[in-house]
Amino acid sequence: MNLMAEILIQVVIAFLAGSLLLGLHRKVMARVQKRPGPPIVQHLIHSLKFFFKETAIPKTVSKVFYVGIVFILALVWIVGVIAGPVAHDSLLILFGVYAVYKIVEHNSGSSSGSPYGKLSCVRAVLSAATELPLFAAIVLVYLMTGTMNIGEIITYQSVHGPLAFSIPLAAVMFFMLIITKSPYSPFAITKDKALISGFETEHFGFLRGFMLFSESIAWYVMLWVFLTIFFGPLNAVGYLIGMIVITFITGFINATTPIFSPNHSVMTQITIGAICFFGTLLMIFTGVVA
Amino acid sequence: MNRGLYIILLALSTIAILACLVIDFEAWIVYTVAIFGIPLWVLSLGLLTMAKAKPEDVEERVKEPFTGY
Repeated sequence: MNLMAEILIQVVIAFLAGSLLLGLHRKVMARVQKRPGPPIVQHLIHSLKFFFKETAIPKTVSKVFYVGIVFILALVWIVGVIAGPVAHDSLLILFGVYAVYKIVEHNSGSSSGSPYGKLSCVRAVLSAATELPLFAAIVLVYLMTGTMNIGEIITYQSVHGPLAFSIPLAAVMFFMLIITKSPYSPFAITKDKALISGFETEHFGFLRGFMLFSESIAWYVMLWVFLTIFFGPLNAVGYLIGMIVITFITGFINATTPIFSPNHSVMTQITIGAICFFGTLLMIFTGVVA
Repeated sequence: MNRGLYIILLALSTIAILACLVIDFEAWIVYTVAIFGIPLWVLSLGLLTMAKAKPEDVEERVKEPFTGY
């Protein structure tokens, strides 16, 4: 197939599947809290609807940056789609994507003139603690498989079985990242409701729709990467079931867990990351893992 | 609003994406076009489709309700 056609198809799949999964996530949270909740397609409808809503650029924003950062958010997740589902390239590129996503959170808040956005921007620096367990998980995958190439990791698992069974603590660390990035997460200190919508507060109308478009792709890519590097070669049905199950689990967790304060959030992430990292190293070097 | 600029950006990104669909360029060229072209296409399309405030309401819309720092 033509490479551009493949990229376009994957981007559309990522957007549609990601939107529906985020809609499902909201539905699960609502049902756990004994509310009917919005329809599953609501997130998708919102994303499209905002493209036609009235949009104005507030006086206090840094104009080029304010619009440019939304463009960069989409750009990094298109890179995520290419490095992941399309090219099966290096995990380090995806680590870079997550790092830039953090910069987007930071700069989206700082480009707005709102104190809420700016406070969220400061918290985005603190929440960079999430990147440490992610990097540690990638290191552990490398120690086990001897490669960072996603295609080669899939091949390794087709011979030795899924990595989730051999290095489960690394999978837990990566799963923590997924919880962190999920909506209404206990670790989502940048989008704490005390900050209205955090770094997105001043991005409304079409720009918010564009952000929702990118976030849908982001959710799909994160779930795809997790399932691919820890649950081996999967077919389309396997990915579908896996993504729905993870969305259910994160929905349950987020519906029943209040948001942490910034210091508790960071310390919890680092503690879980440290326990899982050293636990896995111990398992590898004591021969528990073959 | 620079409506003309948005139309040019939309046309450029559409042509670049279509060219990659029709012609088999080297992978790095296709990746570059995809990485910059797809977000640019969505951005320029959105800037064209979004509703604009009435001239008499513009000032009210862009006023920041918070004073900032």
